[in-house]
Amino acid sequence: MHDGISFEQLGKRAVVLCTEPFEVTAKNIAKIMGLADYPFMKVQHPIGSCTAPELKARAEVGYRQALAILLGD
Amino acid sequence: MQLYDPTASGAERTLSRAGALAAIEGKTIGILENGKLNAPEMLREIADLFVARHGCTIHAVYSKSNASAPAPAETLAQAAAEVDFLITGLGD
Amino acid sequence: MPFDSHRIHDIPDDLLAAIDYCYEQGWTDGLPVIPPVLDRVHAMLAYEGRPPEAVIATHPATTLQLTVHAAAVNAVMAGCLPEYFPVLVAAFEAMDKPDFNFHGSTASTGGSAPLLIVSGGYADDIGMNADVNLFGPGNRANATIGRATRLILRNVFQMIPGISDKSTQGNPGKYSFCIAERARGNPWPLLCQEQDYPEGVSSVTVFAGGGFCNVENHGGNTPEQILGSVADAMANYGCITLGQSVVILAPEHMRIVAGAGWSRKDAQEFLFAHAKRSIEGMKSVGKYRDVEYDKQHGPDAHSLAQPGYIHRGLGPDDILIAMGGGDAGGHSCFIPSWSRGRGSIMQHKPIGVCIDCN
Repeated sequence: MHDGISFEQLGKRAVVLCTEPFEVTAKNIAKIMGLADYPFMKVQHPIGSCTAPELKARAEVGYRQALAILLGD
Repeated sequence: MQLYDPTASGAERTLSRAGALAAIEGKTIGILENGKLNAPEMLREIADLFVARHGCTIHAVYSKSNASAPAPAETLAQAAAEVDFLITGLGD
Repeated sequence: MPFDSHRIHDIPDDLLAAIDYCYEQGWTDGLPVIPPVLDRVHAMLAYEGRPPEAVIATHPATTLQLTVHAAAVNAVMAGCLPEYFPVLVAAFEAMDKPDFNFHGSTASTGGSAPLLIVSGGYADDIGMNADVNLFGPGNRANATIGRATRLILRNVFQMIPGISDKSTQGNPGKYSFCIAERARGNPWPLLCQEQDYPEGVSSVTVFAGGGFCNVENHGGNTPEQILGSVADAMANYGCITLGQSVVILAPEHMRIVAGAGWSRKDAQEFLFAHAKRSIEGMKSVGKYRDVEYDKQHGPDAHSLAQPGYIHRGLGPDDILIAMGGGDAGGHSCFIPSWSRGRGSIMQHKPIGVCIDCN
């Protein structure tokens, strides 16, 4: 989250991936950094132990959210 | 009785977002991965969907050596100079 | 921020109600705190030469800052006496070094706690315990310096469980994790001497400790047997990573190791050479990664790193060994690093003096 918000200060959009249990953590960092409503991708936990098909399924969910984040206000 | 407050008092910060992309077609993507298990694979899967569906190209995969420390400023600056948007992430 | 403008809470003159007030504000670790009344904070500040607004540490992700004043307030709440304060200040100066990465090590699911090891005469000066029940309760300095560390992480740096502190299980050291190195009967140079501080200067070492593993061995009577059991604990599948290690040798074990003529370096090398798992073994539990193997066996590999094995750490220097505990009992301990290997590297600072100040 920190990296995404820092990157956007350089003038380009970033899309940040987060798993569901970390949503509250991500929002907290965004709030502390002064961008409380910063949108991010949220997918099912975990990632580390996922099989390839499970990663693809999460990627599809993340992609749809990323598209909206990149094009949205 | 008077007590000192034990919490930090700092100035409230306000940051802005970068402007939205007008279109996705043909844009260059950077991936910033944190070295965690499956992190590069996961982010690459998402980027691949942008490649397949919007003709994007993946310019580079940037890695940071410490998953839980902010990325070095020079890494972010390099990425910002080279790509149209960045895909990154946290969490396991 | 000027000293006089620090935020003050005016509350009724009732001590028990004040303790409850601290709970209501979310300022505690779950245990009652000493209400941080002004004169106690001022007494704490008298032990620090810098002004109250001086910054000791900055959170790398949120930029929240720890001032001398805020440290003193939390030290009072934890129950510290003023003479403990220089240890706490030095500990956060050490944690502020970038390689300690105190954001990651305090936010992570890994659930580590900063272990403070105080070495040198200052530990005795303030009555710290380096002896019986080393990690247990009963000593005010050990208990409250460690507790103040946690209160600062919570109150100043806002590492709030469930929000910014995502420890899956945490560990008991997150209440307090502070010991002194035992000087009495210690055959090896103290840590503060190994760290090259001038004679008479004490130090505090901070290490993101991922828990506590007792190493029991009452039957062994050679260094190889004693350290062999320590190495086995260090290499258990749940703990082995490229991370650093802390080993606190019980005096009974130390007498066997040093009595055979082994130096700290000898012991470190033995532990590094023996705390290892085969590639096949690591694969059998799903924890093998090429990138980690390559890091350990690349061009800079230590000569004791055996091909085909993952060792704990990158070399013998990654293993801190100190003596501590009571005279009786074959109980040493191994404290693993925060779970993800080299995300945090242990640091140290001198106590109460300014040797390498900016």
